[in-house]
Amino acid sequence: MLTWGVVAVLAVGVYGQRALGMALINPARISHRSRQVLAMVPLSILCAVTALQTFSTQGALVLDARVAGIAAAAALTWKRTPMFVVVIVAATVTAAIRLI
Amino acid sequence: MRQIPHGTSLRTGEAWAIAFTYFTVAITVSLVHSTAGTPTWVIIAATLLVNSATATLAYAAVTAAGGSVVAGIAGGWLTSTRFGVLAAALAPRLWPQRWKRSLAAFSAFDPNIALANREEEDENVRRVYVAMSLWLVLPWWLGASIGAVLGDLVSDPKALGMDAMFPALFIAIIRPQLITQRARLIAFSGAAIALGLVEILPGGLPFLVAALPALLALRGSESENS
Repeated sequence: MLTWGVVAVLAVGVYGQRALGMALINPARISHRSRQVLAMVPLSILCAVTALQTFSTQGALVLDARVAGIAAAAALTWKRTPMFVVVIVAATVTAAIRLI
Repeated sequence: MRQIPHGTSLRTGEAWAIAFTYFTVAITVSLVHSTAGTPTWVIIAATLLVNSATATLAYAAVTAAGGSVVAGIAGGWLTSTRFGVLAAALAPRLWPQRWKRSLAAFSAFDPNIALANREEEDENVRRVYVAMSLWLVLPWWLGASIGAVLGDLVSDPKALGMDAMFPALFIAIIRPQLITQRARLIAFSGAAIALGLVEILPGGLPFLVAALPALLALRGSESENS
């Protein structure tokens, strides 16, 4: 759950990084290697977040209806289905299984 | 094909596709925050001030998975490091005045930087960056506000399968990045590490440890090259 304080801290941190890249750092001074590392870090984190949101709840591994919904979403993503459709299908499949 | 702004290579169709995607995703993201218990006004403020879906989603995901507030903020900051890198890549082609680039930094996203960078003339880089930032940020803010208001009306998010929307959205965002063998290796190791550690380490830490494959893969590639 977001709070006003969290929003403020996130806003400062995210804008700070954008401004750092855009206005404060001389772009010619960032090494190629640093760029590569920075480019890959978000990918690792996003995948970790995705895996935990699929297979765990409150710090415990759980297998439930959402795994099927997310598997359907992943299959559609590989077929390059638009993002909004992917998300709607994930929710619909999960809801349908819970209903049964 | 019409070009906007005139004389650049940005097509009207491209601008509409991006505007539509950001509008619809913004609705979804706000619904996700709403189901996590965030009040309507805080969601709208977060959209306008943080101006990044991945940062606020990562925070919400880390805390929803049992992570502390500090771990959630660290996760949110870490997911937005790419904006700084992208901004630095475009900065030499934007305005020489630092204050103009400071303003432009606020709307540094992936598609507007990629499309601006495609222009050959620096003058057109600036025009496309400004135009595309508006085509992206305005639908984004509008969609997020609509989603934040709608979220209040949804009574039982789990029955609607809304806990599956988060990971589905992230998979759709990650997918285009998984084009190289190395990216796939980093992605799946990150996921495996997080799952292996979730029951052992306190909440939040598995997310940060999951960043290690990215660093190790680049170390490996450097020794290959040298």
